[in-house]
Amino acid sequence: MHDLTISYGGEPVLEGASLAVGDGSFVSLVGPSGSGKSSLLRAVIGLQRPLSGTVETGLAPSQIGILFQDDALLPWKTARENVALGLTFNGMVRGKALAEADAWLARLDLAGLGDRFPRRLSGGQRKRVALAQVLAMRPKLMLMDEPFASLDAIVRARVVKDLVALVEREKISVLLVTHDLEEALSLSDDVYLLSQGPRARITEHYDVPLPRPRDPVLSRTHPAFAPLYERLWADLSREVDQRAEAA
Amino acid sequence: MMRLDPRYTWMRQVAALAALLAVWEAADRANLLNPIYAPSPSRVGAALVDLFADGRIWPHLEATFGAALGGLALGILVGVVLGVVAALVPFIAELLEPVMTVLNAIPRVILAPLFVIWLGIGLASKVALSFILVAVLIFFTVFTGIRQVDRRLVERVVTLGGNRRALVRHVYLPSVASWVLGNLKIAVGFAFTGACVGEFVAATEGLGYLLSFAQSTYNAALMFALILLILVVVLLIFGLAGRLEKHLLRWN
Ligand SMILES: Nc1ncnc2c1ncn2[C@@H]1O[C@H](COP(=O)(O)OP(=O)(O)OP(=O)(O)O)[C@@H](O)[C@H]1O
Ligand SMILES: [Mg+2]
Repeated sequence: MHDLTISYGGEPVLEGASLAVGDGSFVSLVGPSGSGKSSLLRAVIGLQRPLSGTVETGLAPSQIGILFQDDALLPWKTARENVALGLTFNGMVRGKALAEADAWLARLDLAGLGDRFPRRLSGGQRKRVALAQVLAMRPKLMLMDEPFASLDAIVRARVVKDLVALVEREKISVLLVTHDLEEALSLSDDVYLLSQGPRARITEHYDVPLPRPRDPVLSRTHPAFAPLYERLWADLSREVDQRAEAA
Repeated sequence: MMRLDPRYTWMRQVAALAALLAVWEAADRANLLNPIYAPSPSRVGAALVDLFADGRIWPHLEATFGAALGGLALGILVGVVLGVVAALVPFIAELLEPVMTVLNAIPRVILAPLFVIWLGIGLASKVALSFILVAVLIFFTVFTGIRQVDRRLVERVVTLGGNRRALVRHVYLPSVASWVLGNLKIAVGFAFTGACVGEFVAATEGLGYLLSFAQSTYNAALMFALILLILVVVLLIFGLAGRLEKHLLRWN
């Protein structure tokens, strides 16, 4: 992504943002609320046309999956049908797509819940279904917009752990948007910091030298974690403070 | 205060009704009521039995059902089509919305005499009244509904690779169906209102016609019997509509 500027008509929300997601790497984007993180992800997948700048993925649209903040499952379709949906859009026959959906549900610990409608699933289960829906497409790149924000800590840790294992195994590149600095560091190879908007910019980039495969909980106890966390936290606080003074 | 067991609510209600009817009946037997105005339950019951005993009720029931169901089906069909078209084509919306808003604001039953002049005193004028009552309701349900379709669902389907047809089939149609079903009971009520009022205004058969006949002959027992009958008919159809809704919206 190069020199991306996004505007909703008035002053640009986000200006001159450039970042790179390497093949199979896990990249997080952190930044204050309203800095344009969601807008940036929407630009990558074509839901939002940037004012200027370019996004290059070298991938077909069906190879990019996006996980929204809310799960956005179709309420009138069962979990299985929801997961099969993208597969049938891309030409798979229904029977095969449903079988594939069952396999993904099982992989995400949802075996036996395929016939449930989303209303009858818990928040964590719905999130897993949404994850299965995206993973079933076998994406090369996953975009995630605070997908776990609504989950309680324990459920969240479990979903994240499954996700990391799958992503590492399938060598999927990930661009994760999050408020949660710890989560960003514990999961990522690279973290980018977005300044406070409007006219938000990418101000910092951090390399995260934690080893892979990773355990998203235990990696927080790695000696390299604390210093990085401190730096990231200081930079983010400074960013927010500066804006507060300017205002 | 006495605590009431909610499991027996219906029993208490039935008992209260029975008591009321018993008092009413007793008052009648004691010649405290004028049967011209307030016929006793047994007289109403007799009138009801009468209607069915000689079989003359059937063509009337058939006429009212035909008008109501015809108007309901046509109204839903036209309401959905116009609502969808208006939601998709801004030019059509510009033309239709004010007309529909006016039609929605007025009590549409005032069109009954007009329909009689245009379509005669037969079935057509009743279907038309039923139709206009239902169509306007359904139009607004669909029109406003489509504009409020959950953007997130649309984006979800698009980002999974769905095309326009997929959007219509997996997002728009199910949304429209759920709003229409959600309003089905109201539409049924409207349809029967249209049919009965239409018959009341000018007709040769139907429950509404029988009502106006009962009125002109000061036959209160017959009137009560008819009101009771219409009540039962509509409740039955409500029950059916409710089951249909429950089945089709079982995801909800
Ligand atoms: N559809 C829209 N029309 C106009 N302005 C918008 C629209 N969507 C977002 N914005 C504005 O753009 C800015 C960035 O929004 P965005 O949702 O990208 O922020 P964010 O970084 O994801 O914030 P959060 O962390 O709260 O989710 C905000 O100031 C918001 O008000
Ligand atoms: Mg956001």
